[in-house]
Amino acid sequence: MASTHTSSHTEAAKMEQVITEFFYESLFIILESRSPFVSSRNYSGEQTVSSPSSSSSSSSSVRPRDKWFNLALRECPSALENLDLCRQSNFESVVVDVILEQKPLDWGPASFSPKRDLFGNLSSKDKNSLFWNSDQEESGREIKSEKIIERWLVLHESRKGRDCNLGNRRSSCYSLSALYKKLILLWRSLYVTVRLLPAYNIFRDLNSSGQICAFKLVPRVYSFVEPLTRKEEVDMQRFWFTPVDTSCGRLCVSVLYYSSISDTSSESSTPMSPQFIPNYVGSPLADPLRRFPSLPISHGSPSSLPFSRRHGWSYDHYKASPPLVSFSPSPTHSESHALVMNLDEYCPSPNFSASPSPSPSLPIHIPRSHLSEALLRPESAPVDIPGPKVANSPALSDKHKLPPSPPLKITRTGTSRTDNFRVPAKTGATIEKLFSFEKEDRRKYSGVKISSCGSPRISCSRSSSRSFQDDFDDSEFPCPFDVEDDEMTNPGSRVESYDKREHPSDINEAGLFVNRKSQDAAVGALVRMLKKAPPLCQDISLNFSEASRPEMWSNSIQKQSQISEAATVEHAAALSSASSRLVASKTAADALEELRGYKVMKNLLLSEGGKAYTSANV
Amino acid sequence: MNCEVCQLKELEVEHFEIREVLLCILHTIVFHRALGLVRPKDVDLELFEITYVQCGDVELEEKIDEKIDHFISWVEKHPNKKSQICLSFYEVKSKQPSWFTNKTERLYWEQWYVNLNVTQHPKHHSSKSHHTKVIVDPGESATEERSSRRAMVEASLREVLFQIIKFVNEKKDHVPPISEGVIYFPYEITIPSSSDSAFGMDMIKRMLHNGHPTMLS
Repeated sequence: MASTHTSSHTEAAKMEQVITEFFYESLFIILESRSPFVSSRNYSGEQTVSSPSSSSSSSSSVRPRDKWFNLALRECPSALENLDLCRQSNFESVVVDVILEQKPLDWGPASFSPKRDLFGNLSSKDKNSLFWNSDQEESGREIKSEKIIERWLVLHESRKGRDCNLGNRRSSCYSLSALYKKLILLWRSLYVTVRLLPAYNIFRDLNSSGQICAFKLVPRVYSFVEPLTRKEEVDMQRFWFTPVDTSCGRLCVSVLYYSSISDTSSESSTPMSPQFIPNYVGSPLADPLRRFPSLPISHGSPSSLPFSRRHGWSYDHYKASPPLVSFSPSPTHSESHALVMNLDEYCPSPNFSASPSPSPSLPIHIPRSHLSEALLRPESAPVDIPGPKVANSPALSDKHKLPPSPPLKITRTGTSRTDNFRVPAKTGATIEKLFSFEKEDRRKYSGVKISSCGSPRISCSRSSSRSFQDDFDDSEFPCPFDVEDDEMTNPGSRVESYDKREHPSDINEAGLFVNRKSQDAAVGALVRMLKKAPPLCQDISLNFSEASRPEMWSNSIQKQSQISEAATVEHAAALSSASSRLVASKTAADALEELRGYKVMKNLLLSEGGKAYTSANV
Repeated sequence: MNCEVCQLKELEVEHFEIREVLLCILHTIVFHRALGLVRPKDVDLELFEITYVQCGDVELEEKIDEKIDHFISWVEKHPNKKSQICLSFYEVKSKQPSWFTNKTERLYWEQWYVNLNVTQHPKHHSSKSHHTKVIVDPGESATEERSSRRAMVEASLREVLFQIIKFVNEKKDHVPPISEGVIYFPYEITIPSSSDSAFGMDMIKRMLHNGHPTMLS
């Protein structure tokens, strides 16, 4: 009696264990073939197989769980996790939805979760589901589209009543063995079937492909779920596995599936492997800046420029119009045009000012700071060259020292002035220093230079004329304002020299003077002369005793050639007051006129002196 | 015990498809009848988008490969003929020896008939022709035709596999009980012999051994 009860209890326990394993095995087989990267299937598509009976050590590799239904499979943690879910439902029903998720556009690798997505019904009707996945946030997104491509239903239809507990020992044993055999056959069929359905192809592609696809296969396990709509069921096919009768009911497995989901599974995104994007926004290749029109081209290599990127203010010496210098940050095209215009008109530099006129070619380096300053003050005054300090010393005013080297400037037009100037030797040496400095700058900024082939507007053209150095090295190049020793002691000689200069014997040479000498250089020379000249206030009387205004004095002398010196002095004194007023408002032109007057006066005095002597001798 | 017979749907295959089709079908059947402890092995077909399962037994694989090779050789000798491969599962029982019978007998309890119609494609026919092969540009139409035909064969093969699954699920009672240490039931693969008469003799011999008439379902 007790033994029968014990055996029946044992049988019931065994039956319960079989049913438990039935649920576990079904979950295992389904989830193992629907959860990418969790499957026991390797990426090559084939498993390393060792038959349990082929080797002696095979028995040691057989796990206890493998003996259930004689199907040696790897562990599936997800199945074990969901076993509790089945237990919650008293092992009555388990639903596994295989969902094909289309990833949103903003998904990233981090969101590609290979793990199984476990969570209860979104409608929260399922109170038995306890597992919530971290992908819940993903599933809450409306932008993610999901589609149930398979629904597996594992049921244990219990047959309640007294029949479950009744049964003799023999029949229960028979039924248990038969049940076990039938369950084995069922799992064989289930194992093959899950690999024949279309969803398995997606699973296989996801597992084997190294690409990150736009779709994700997510199995979800429920203990209870709402049935599918009729529309969905119409499109799906159902496959029933033959139920296996148990002593307390029957075990059923069925599947609803789409017979064709190849359209969704064949779509694949581009590989997410790192790719070099050559034409990103802002890249040099994407949208190179337009070139500057017609600016001098530097013969230096672009690579030597500190800012030699094409999208910057670099240039291409193959192009016709590169910028004069390199600037950063890169300005806009309009700014570049404005810059060009400014460069055309004013090309200041710390050392040189470049004009578009064809004047002595000069490799010009215009640093950014200077250029910007120059642009702000287009009428910038010439920058003095910090020449020898001896030139600025007060002692020079009445001394015979050479004037400082003039600021070298290239005027816009070469025919502006007929003034001539001569650069003394020391000035030429200073200029050489400047050129050497310029050369260094040229080497430093080798990309910035002016060539003859580039700019018609920039006067710094080598081919147009001789170089500045050549010009200023010419010691014979006369300068009307050049104060030589002889001229300092004898102003007349100075005037004479000026007179000579003014009326050069060679017309061609005069033309050269005119072309080469700039108005500014002449003014500078005059200023230098004025500095050296004695103060007009002190010498005015003396000067005007000797010479007056050219016009007045010449007339007076001609008319009153016989007037004595006293008359001359009186006239000079009369004019002294007037001249004092004139001193304040004297300009360079006035100074030049005065100089002419001195010369005329000198001539007159000489002539008068000659006549007086002659008359005296007579 | 009745012998359950299953006539599978006829498949129209080409010569180069024979091996994969037979491997898929035969291994699927054997897997359903390997009720011992097995480690399943997934195999992807190269010609079709189908994955079948093997038992993972090396000896079984070699035997099946050998039979398939014999069948292919027979097909080459008998082109454009419908052929049949029989996979039988039996039990070995000892019996009283007699003049015409052995001590042991095979009790076939299940037979599977794989029906194949091996067709020769016109392009692949003139492999031994002495004439100059006519170079035919397949073009898109031939490619599409080939792909459609391949899809049809794949669908048919999938139907055959589902047929096997249904048969296995519907009929379970005739399956003998599982023996300890036995992985799969004894089986036999029968291919057509060089002559039809010999094939017929094989069938008669089987009937004599079985002691039961062949049942066609």
